[in-house]
Amino acid sequence: MIPRYQRVLFWSLIAGIVLMGSFLIHGCRQAHQRLTALNDATPIAAPTTASTQEITLYLANDADGSLAPDQRELALPQDPTLRARALLEYLLAQYSLPTSTHPLQSGPTVDDVFFINLPLATPTARNALSPATGMPSQDKSRSSHPAKSTSQLAIVNLHGSFVESHPSGIQVEALTLLSLIATLHSAFPEVTEVRFLVAGQPRDTLAGHADLTRAYSATAATPTETTKRTTDTQP
Amino acid sequence: MVPFTPQPKPAPPAPPRTLILLDPAHGGPDTGAHLPNNLLEKDITLSFNNRLRALLTAANFAVISTRTSDPSTLFTTDQRAEIANHARAAVCLTLHATGSGTGIHLFTSALTPPARSPHVFPWDTAQAASVADSRLIAAAIRSALTQARLPATSARASIRPLDNLTCPAIAIEIAPLADPSSSPTPVSDSAYQQHIAEAIVAALTDWRTANLTGAGR
Repeated sequence: MIPRYQRVLFWSLIAGIVLMGSFLIHGCRQAHQRLTALNDATPIAAPTTASTQEITLYLANDADGSLAPDQRELALPQDPTLRARALLEYLLAQYSLPTSTHPLQSGPTVDDVFFINLPLATPTARNALSPATGMPSQDKSRSSHPAKSTSQLAIVNLHGSFVESHPSGIQVEALTLLSLIATLHSAFPEVTEVRFLVAGQPRDTLAGHADLTRAYSATAATPTETTKRTTDTQP
Repeated sequence: MVPFTPQPKPAPPAPPRTLILLDPAHGGPDTGAHLPNNLLEKDITLSFNNRLRALLTAANFAVISTRTSDPSTLFTTDQRAEIANHARAAVCLTLHATGSGTGIHLFTSALTPPARSPHVFPWDTAQAASVADSRLIAAAIRSALTQARLPATSARASIRPLDNLTCPAIAIEIAPLADPSSSPTPVSDSAYQQHIAEAIVAALTDWRTANLTGAGR
């Protein structure tokens, strides 16, 4: 004769097993639904055809400190900010290739690129001095309602891990910045100044040397068509 | 009557002891670049500073360094610039080391020289008035390095404290020396450092002879 307490224990264990089994099946179904949702290939926006176009990448070379133009065919988004971000990500991806002359680690590089029309309402910190006074130049004729200008300030927000893994050195850091600036200016001629943020925050240097607190002149950083950028040229 | 005593003939004036400021970059918690073989940039710059300082002193230069040891606390670029600007050095050399590239990289400020000498020097653009002299000295050092068969490049860059210095200032970055037949010479190699230091001293000696002796600086 089986004691009563053993029968109660037996059926309790059976009930627990059934309960746990049903809970497990339910969890598996939910996980499957989540994975299915992630793999959903249903288009959420109408497809657009982006034709490839010729772009100029300014590729850095650590061996001689040069910046050389390189023509590529690339399909880029139409939206200017997305287009600039895709362009700079493509540029920096070239540096993670095994044959790169300016080796950088792969991974996320550019978070965002923003464009702001110049002149700004408040004066920006610049390193140019007034020829007349020797003081930092400030345009006194700037009105409170400036006329529409074609020049723009580009703000490049670099990814934190890209900056953390960037090689440290004056030349290698300066070449990365000049490559980004020149390539951006080539695709967006209206961009005349470039500033850099890191993970949305201002930062003193790229990797301990190149100054990120100032705005860089895009026109000065871009080599002319007749002169390949080598060392001893104005950034 | 006072007896006549011949006055000693005045000695010829000694050449001026030109003041050179050396700034071994980084230090303390700021280690700088992490170089191969677990070397830190702050240690390489300090050892090169000691080597260059000895050679400059032997060449009758007065030399001061912004640091002669590894500080325990952060030594900011503004503090370095304050020391240099108070010293009123004839030439300021900031010393760096890197694992990227090859040879010696010389940098001067990317600031634009003003058309006329300014009455005041804004901190962020203090180097602007000396940029022309800085580029002349950088060209002299590059020439001396090339004559010593050391590959050297010169460029302009925006780095601190270079832009904050009122003296002619050059950043000297030592990179490994590429050798097609063997492995690159590391920046910690004492013979390599000595070779670079000797070329820099030769360039500064020639520059002093050509420019400062007549001016009496």
